Amino acid sequence: MTAPLVAQLALALVAVLAAVAAPDRIRGAVAGTATLATAAAGAWAGVLALGGATGALEVPSALPGVVLRLAPDRLGGLFMLVAGVVGAAVAVYAIGYAHGVTASRTQWAALPVFLLGMQLVPAAGDLVAFLLAWELMAGGSTVLVLAEHSRRAQTREAALWYAVTTHLSMLAILGGFAVLAAQTGATDFAGLAAADPRSAAASLAFVLLAVGFGTKAGVVPLHVWLPRAHPEAPSHASAAMSAAMVKMGVYGLLLVTLRLLPGGPTWWAAVLVGVGALSAVYGILQAAVASDLKRLLAYSTSENVGLIVLALGMALLLRDEADAPASLALLACLLLVVSHAAFKTTLFLGAGAVLRATGERDLDRLGGLAHRMPWTTAAFGLGALGAAALPVTGGFVAEWTLLQAMIHAAEPGERVVAATVPLALGVIALTAGLALLTFVKAFGIAFLARPRSLGAETAREVPVGMRVAMVASGVAVVGLGVAPGPVAAGLAQAVGVDGVGSAGLGGVTLDGVGAVLDPVALAVLSVAVVLPAIVASAVLARRRPRTVGAPAWGCGRIRTSPRMQYTATSYAEPLMRVFDDALQPTRDIEVTHVAESQYLADRVQYSQRVDDVVEVRLYAPVIRVADRVADAARRVQNGSITRYLAFAFAALVVVLVVVSR
Amino acid sequence: MSLDGLATQLLALSTGALLLTAALLVWRRSLAAAARLLAVQGVALAALVVSIAAAERDAELLGVAAVVLALKGVVIPLVLGRGVRATGVDRENALRVNPTSGLVGVTLLATLAYLVSRPITQATAGIGGTAAGPAAFAVPVGLTMVLVGLLLVVTRRRALSQLVGFLVLDNGIATVAFLTAAGVPFVVELGVSLDVLLVALILAVLSGRLHAALGAVSVDELNELRD
Repeated sequence: MTAPLVAQLALALVAVLAAVAAPDRIRGAVAGTATLATAAAGAWAGVLALGGATGALEVPSALPGVVLRLAPDRLGGLFMLVAGVVGAAVAVYAIGYAHGVTASRTQWAALPVFLLGMQLVPAAGDLVAFLLAWELMAGGSTVLVLAEHSRRAQTREAALWYAVTTHLSMLAILGGFAVLAAQTGATDFAGLAAADPRSAAASLAFVLLAVGFGTKAGVVPLHVWLPRAHPEAPSHASAAMSAAMVKMGVYGLLLVTLRLLPGGPTWWAAVLVGVGALSAVYGILQAAVASDLKRLLAYSTSENVGLIVLALGMALLLRDEADAPASLALLACLLLVVSHAAFKTTLFLGAGAVLRATGERDLDRLGGLAHRMPWTTAAFGLGALGAAALPVTGGFVAEWTLLQAMIHAAEPGERVVAATVPLALGVIALTAGLALLTFVKAFGIAFLARPRSLGAETAREVPVGMRVAMVASGVAVVGLGVAPGPVAAGLAQAVGVDGVGSAGLGGVTLDGVGAVLDPVALAVLSVAVVLPAIVASAVLARRRPRTVGAPAWGCGRIRTSPRMQYTATSYAEPLMRVFDDALQPTRDIEVTHVAESQYLADRVQYSQRVDDVVEVRLYAPVIRVADRVADAARRVQNGSITRYLAFAFAALVVVLVVVSR
Repeated sequence: MSLDGLATQLLALSTGALLLTAALLVWRRSLAAAARLLAVQGVALAALVVSIAAAERDAELLGVAAVVLALKGVVIPLVLGRGVRATGVDRENALRVNPTSGLVGVTLLATLAYLVSRPITQATAGIGGTAAGPAAFAVPVGLTMVLVGLLLVVTRRRALSQLVGFLVLDNGIATVAFLTAAGVPFVVELGVSLDVLLVALILAVLSGRLHAALGAVSVDELNELRD
């Protein structure tokens, strides 16, 4: 167990050194390869830990008596594996993708640091190691978000939002752990678990930790950094952040609710379910109306994390009532984690390829990429299938498991459970429907039809390395769906859930509720049903004489232009009308009249903007107050260093006078 | 006179010299004089370490004393002197507080330091060894130097004068450390002294550059870097 842990530490160091020392021309290849090796070592450690290997690596620190203990358990191993595999795909992709400012020394050095931090968070066995790894992850990702700071003001703003929210979440986590540590007098996780989960202090710790980890996970209303940082970061970084880093927030929640404070009060579970449901619906609604491709994906992350948190809350809620469904909900939570990691990597890498090839992120200016970028299109398509939770992808299996758990939680005794389960079912159904619409839009507008801009028209397929990473992660999306049996069995092991097995060709059986899912058989069956119909229609079509279409009178069709196609905005327009109150878009129609007559319009300009309601209503007032306080403080802070020193001197003298009395 | 008696005399002499140089630094305006006074202070600090080494019969402390003598008695004053020659301005002509009130301030700070150090003196007296003896009663000197150093930093406007204040502050910290802990490990002292040297080098170069770019090097003018 110690070998892969040491290996990843050493390899990350090599990667950083390579990034700093290698000359420009080969920096990407050298640093990228070393980063790939770091990620692979992380995945290796994850596999070992998931398999039940024990053992710890103790790293002495500069402070006497403080030792960093790295000892992943099975659950930690799973998250290390996820971070490692995503990191590997990202590293391969980055070699081809990074160029210009995203291929600087700093950027290449930040990537392995970020990945290492992410791999060490679930490996940590005590608070010191956990928090250190957490900050490595936060610091590395902040540097990555800042990549294009010199060119774009939005990047600086996004990085500021990200840095501040990350700091605040760190404070909350630190506070929560401090409460637990004060209760138990321990700093390692085994010792912290001795805290009484029913005490008031434990509840305080839970709230603080849930806020901290929830911020990292990007659940509503703590998600504001997500739709800013993800679009502005370089695409490989956003893939790693969205597919793996937010999962560390989920890992934190699992750590708190399963390992440190198992058996907490029911309201913890209810809070998690509520927050999860809110995130799921709000996230997918915002995604459905977004026309920036990466912003859309970022909001979809919020949605998926919402579902994950909902599943976790459901598992905790049902634990006392119905054992088998509770275990299944927990399994569904992990399945969602894994499948989201796979498809969100694919989608962000695909979005990066589109951005690289066309220079566009705005769906309304894309289109027709299917002909020019077949590999990217195929990979993005697979990812979109997974995100829409359609069979045969991992996303489908995960949501199916969650629904199985909830449907079989019928006849609940407690009122909270009886009210929550049906509501949550409704939320999941709504989310699934909207997700389908969102990804039909994302794929259809970006890749099908005719190009809507010059960039899209002249797009060229991306280099081989990027294609390999995209297609590999796309295949993983399908692989998780085709053979869910072994995956589910492995995940069940990670959290000690019984009664999950394989059936047929990689199918999954859930003994607790008597459900079986065999995607291969399902696929064969549907082909067997559909094939005769296709054959029959082909045969019938042949009997008819061949028709030649020639417009006698074109009705304007002969003068079509790409601008007449559906755009992302127009596609989402009906939805926007339905959810007008929830989304509160600002619309503006500007009519320029012909000079001679105000009855004739020269041009009509329509613009629509959807701001994040949570940000406008909840964060803006808080920021205004903070600004006012800062303005008041600025009077004291006039920039003169002598004055600052005088403050320190005066404070010292005052303290001494007080002490000497 | 026995070795211990000599050591006590040396300790009293060196701490006295430390206090005196600190007070003189507040009084003098000339930067070249300040560099010479700092050299004297460095030598006094080294003598203090030698006296503790003699009382403790500790050979390693003699090495520390050599480091202190080399860095604080010779190298750092030289660096400061070069900085003064590079800027070509010797006098601190824009004092915030005139020398007389500065000296009154020093007296007040020294009184405060003696009042505050009583618990430290009593606590170390309980430990035994050198720290319990005459060294314990010299602790306020170190604290006074820290306060005087801060006073210098706050009341001077030139970058180099502030550097002088910073060095006095550092000497004060070192004095307290030597007196209370009966010596500091060689490696620690070496590391700290080299750090201080680095700071002195950077500030000396920086003030030279500032002088070249802006003319008079008054730190007051550098107040644009905020928000």
